[in-house]
Amino acid sequence: MKEIMAILPATIRNILSALPAKVVEHLEEIRLRQNQPMEIRYGQQSSYVTPTGQLTSNVRQGWVFTAEQVVKLVNQLSQHSLYALEEELKRGYITVVGGHRVGIAGKVVLEHGEVKGIRDLTSFNIRIAREKKGVAQAVMPFLFENGTLLNTLVISPPQCGKTTLLRDIARTISYGSEWSSSRKVGIVDERSELAGCLQGVPQRDVGPRTDVLDACPKAVGMMMLIRSMSPDVLIVDEVGRPEDGDAVWEAIHAGVAVICSAHGADVGEVAQRPMLGKLVRHGAFSRYIVLSRARGVGTVQAVYDKSLNPLAKEQAVWSS
Amino acid sequence: MVKLIGALMILFSASMVGWQISSYYANRPVQLRSLLLALQMLETEIVYGLTPLARAFVKVGRRISPVIGKLFLLAAELLREEQAQSAEEALRLAMERHWPQTALGKQEKDVLTSLGLVLGSSDREDQQKHLRLAVTHLRGLLEEARAEQMKYEKMYKSLGFLGGLLIVILMF
Repeated sequence: MKEIMAILPATIRNILSALPAKVVEHLEEIRLRQNQPMEIRYGQQSSYVTPTGQLTSNVRQGWVFTAEQVVKLVNQLSQHSLYALEEELKRGYITVVGGHRVGIAGKVVLEHGEVKGIRDLTSFNIRIAREKKGVAQAVMPFLFENGTLLNTLVISPPQCGKTTLLRDIARTISYGSEWSSSRKVGIVDERSELAGCLQGVPQRDVGPRTDVLDACPKAVGMMMLIRSMSPDVLIVDEVGRPEDGDAVWEAIHAGVAVICSAHGADVGEVAQRPMLGKLVRHGAFSRYIVLSRARGVGTVQAVYDKSLNPLAKEQAVWSS
Repeated sequence: MVKLIGALMILFSASMVGWQISSYYANRPVQLRSLLLALQMLETEIVYGLTPLARAFVKVGRRISPVIGKLFLLAAELLREEQAQSAEEALRLAMERHWPQTALGKQEKDVLTSLGLVLGSSDREDQQKHLRLAVTHLRGLLEEARAEQMKYEKMYKSLGFLGGLLIVILMF
């Protein structure tokens, strides 16, 4: 929270510091839109905030984010150097100290039909990153067979803790655990979500033996890492494009274990998708972990083996 | 005897006044040149290094002559400590505080002020354009300052001494 406060203009900082401690603790997003009241999201709820830091559901009582504040926020976010954020503006979000993310919207500038950047920034979504250490404990026993790490696909609908789980798996493998000694981990972090890099340095704890290729397209990045960093495990988030599939396939046959994630509700659904379906049919993955929100974010719904038979937890623990 | 000492003192102080004025004409081109250099370094930092403004100011400020360098260091400090809300404000405040210590005039100040308005608030290409524009302006001023130096530097030096001499002669 301290890191978030540091990037905000004094006025907003004062309002937020007047919020009840319980709200601050569960704060997930601060949404700012020019000439609209500030909105905060905490837990599963959202609310406006009055200038004195009270929660309100009345639009008119909310503290309004003025054009002047926009300029101040942009100045603070960019450290008065918008030119240094060209790449970030192209992608639509800025990663700040602590791995938090600020999503931005405004007027898009095109060059040769491609997004060159965003000018006149008007909407900001400050997403507070929270690390959940230890969530991988529940699935770690399934990831090994006779001491070798298995190729794994994490399947989950959005917002079910897929990225958090991947990060924790990376950390656990990198540090070493009761299931295996520590290994070299390579992360291709196309959207800077897994490691939350700032100037190339991971802001999240992804372990001491982890190399991160930040903001690199997955397919290219996986090959680069295999060639340059000789990882034991490659971890990538959200594979989906055809070239990603080829890269996963290559990596697996290069003797590197791959742990990746994909959007979907179940293995059956994922198997319908062109690229992933091919990987599933060819038995690229030996484990499928399906997440849901059934019992809160990050519920492990089911674990399947190579031929899509569900594994009972006890059985898996014993067999490893 | 007393008269003689008085005469010498008048002569000395008049020459000092002349020397002071002439040193202004001598220093201005020198400082203008380091300001030019500073802006060119700033361009490299911004366009190729993508260095955040405060850090770019410090880097530049340390590498050029202290009289001009102080200006950038001061602006960087103002930005860091959030005493200034924008690059424009930082540069303006720094100039307000430090300008009297330099030999630079109002025209140079205007160039920097208008540069401050855009510094850091646009993409690289735009920054480069504005920095180059400022450099071109300053080059023009440098030419002018050199011409003035040729014309006035020696003149004020001798004028001071001769003026003192005139007063002394009139007194005797």
